[in-house]
Amino acid sequence: MRKISLFIILISMSCFSQNKQLLYNFTSVPQSMLTNPGSDVNYNWFVGIPLLSGFSANVSSSSFSVYDLFANNGVDFNTKLRNVVFSTSRNDKVTLNEQLEVFSGGFKLGDWQESSYFSFGMYQEMDVLTYMPKDYAILALDGNKDYLGKVFDMGDLNARGELLSVFHLGYHKKVNENLILGVRGKIYSSIFNVSSTKNSGYFYTIQGTNNVYDQVISANGLVNTSGLTNYLENYSGNAQSDIMKKTLLGGNLGLGLDLGFTYYPKENLQFTASLIDIGFIKHTKEIESYRYKGYYNYVGLTPDFVLGNSNDILDEFNDAIPLDTLHTKYTTWRPLKFNSSIQYSFGDGRSSDCNCSGGNKIKYANSVGAQLFAMTTPRTPLMALTAYYRRQIFESLEMKATYTVDSFSAKNIGLGLSTTIGKVNFYILADNLLEYKDISKARSLGFQMGLNIIFPDKNTFD
Amino acid sequence: MNIFVENVIYQYITIMNKFLRITFLSVFFLSCSSDLDFEQVNDLKLEPIAVANLAAFDIKANQFVVGGVEQSLVGDVMDFDVFSDVDFSKNLSRVDLFFEFNNTINRAYNVNFYLLDDNNSKLYTIPFFVPANSGSPIVISKTEIFENTKLDILIKTKKVAFVITMLPGTPLTDASVGNLKMRSSATIYFLGQ
Repeated sequence: MRKISLFIILISMSCFSQNKQLLYNFTSVPQSMLTNPGSDVNYNWFVGIPLLSGFSANVSSSSFSVYDLFANNGVDFNTKLRNVVFSTSRNDKVTLNEQLEVFSGGFKLGDWQESSYFSFGMYQEMDVLTYMPKDYAILALDGNKDYLGKVFDMGDLNARGELLSVFHLGYHKKVNENLILGVRGKIYSSIFNVSSTKNSGYFYTIQGTNNVYDQVISANGLVNTSGLTNYLENYSGNAQSDIMKKTLLGGNLGLGLDLGFTYYPKENLQFTASLIDIGFIKHTKEIESYRYKGYYNYVGLTPDFVLGNSNDILDEFNDAIPLDTLHTKYTTWRPLKFNSSIQYSFGDGRSSDCNCSGGNKIKYANSVGAQLFAMTTPRTPLMALTAYYRRQIFESLEMKATYTVDSFSAKNIGLGLSTTIGKVNFYILADNLLEYKDISKARSLGFQMGLNIIFPDKNTFD
Repeated sequence: MNIFVENVIYQYITIMNKFLRITFLSVFFLSCSSDLDFEQVNDLKLEPIAVANLAAFDIKANQFVVGGVEQSLVGDVMDFDVFSDVDFSKNLSRVDLFFEFNNTINRAYNVNFYLLDDNNSKLYTIPFFVPANSGSPIVISKTEIFENTKLDILIKTKKVAFVITMLPGTPLTDASVGNLKMRSSATIYFLGQ
């Protein structure tokens, strides 16, 4: 019981947001195309250093930090746990997102007069989102004795988790001087998936008349899993080789699409928007689902003194609310992400020895802008608003500073640096910098870095 | 996949993983953290207290009369293997059983609640005396607490039985009114460590 309860409580604590406010529209980094396939990114060709070209991790919790639970401050752990549980609401969430680019690359199509680009790659992604199962936590901590009359909401269990690999191919084209359109197709290969996002039902205990209590449980719960069945029972295979196969399109497959554009109404004014992961995964292999559905009004034992036909409460319960194991195919939708930005640029960034080869980004040294991010979740969408400042410090060093407000933090300051020395591009982006003075108290941390080799675009004839 | 290729890929992944980990960790070492103690998880104690119905009955006075003959002894044995479940019982620390009788029949009763094992052998008896009703309602209640070694009796219980003995008094007929009602509940104290 303890292990299960702890699992429920702990899983409800890890929350990663997928907002990549630093990477978005940071066009000196090719990986910014993954947040907008219509980014104004120019290159002759580039290649990401395998496994090092893009790594990002982000964990957020909307209501508590690691410190709140594990501080070595002499306060009993159970007290801290209670404080955390009772200070959260069922809409508090923990998210975790990790992406690791395995390989990536891109090239320009045609000669110097053309401005259309291909990019491709493969990355592995882990994505977990779980809401605080508050009523379950109360039952585990306190039981129902002191909660007569409270209706426990079975819908508080709402979580999803997935490990998948993504193969993608993107194309963006400068349609005219002012407009860049981009599209990216994706094939998902899901290594494992767990989702339980549409639970409903209730449980209550009130004072009764003929019985001591009126106790009713109505449940409609479903937990879908795929890719895990082999490991739940006696497993004799090679997990490493299994995961490798599933990574290389041997898992449960799905399709996705990214769309985006960049538009310059004026030379120094820029709009961008993108929709990322319009896609689904069909789970057909290694599926096992658990359904718990029914209604039970529990009255206890009812002795029959005349005929002796009394009830068996365990049978009664199992008949009323059976736990079924299903092997039915199911489909999950990828969390859909929306990004948009508006940017105003100013200041002459041309150095005296400028070769004037770049596009808009070299012309102006400074940019200020605002971004809006939204992501679908099983409940209300996640939203984040970012203000940012970008500066070309040297020709080889670009900086972006962000200030973000979202449901995890109201003072998220982030800083990103991208440096291109020779053909080698290195970038490092980190948000919630204020939290680094004591990361144990941080509710949200995001971190991205990567290494690429970029051959810059030439828009003059050699 | 070709074993050689697979090996080369694993080697590369291992090296790159190390590089990533070092970079990642160095960023975190640059930051500060309050003193944390994850071992505290071992102190976790879950002590929920659950309440639930145990049993209930409602016998009308005329149900004690079958074919014009008064039945002075009735009873029923029921399967009850809730507390004997191993996963359930190992987390038990105390169980309170509460009983409440409400008698509106003008006869007195001795009621025994038996805890029985698989072979119907008595493990424990909770006796009740319910006086006859002569105008004002009779309400009798009792709470029996099972903890420490007494809890083992409950854990061994596989069946329970109610046996009702009607004590001598004014004979009941098909036309007699009143009820002998009983309701009971369990308060279960868990201790998960």
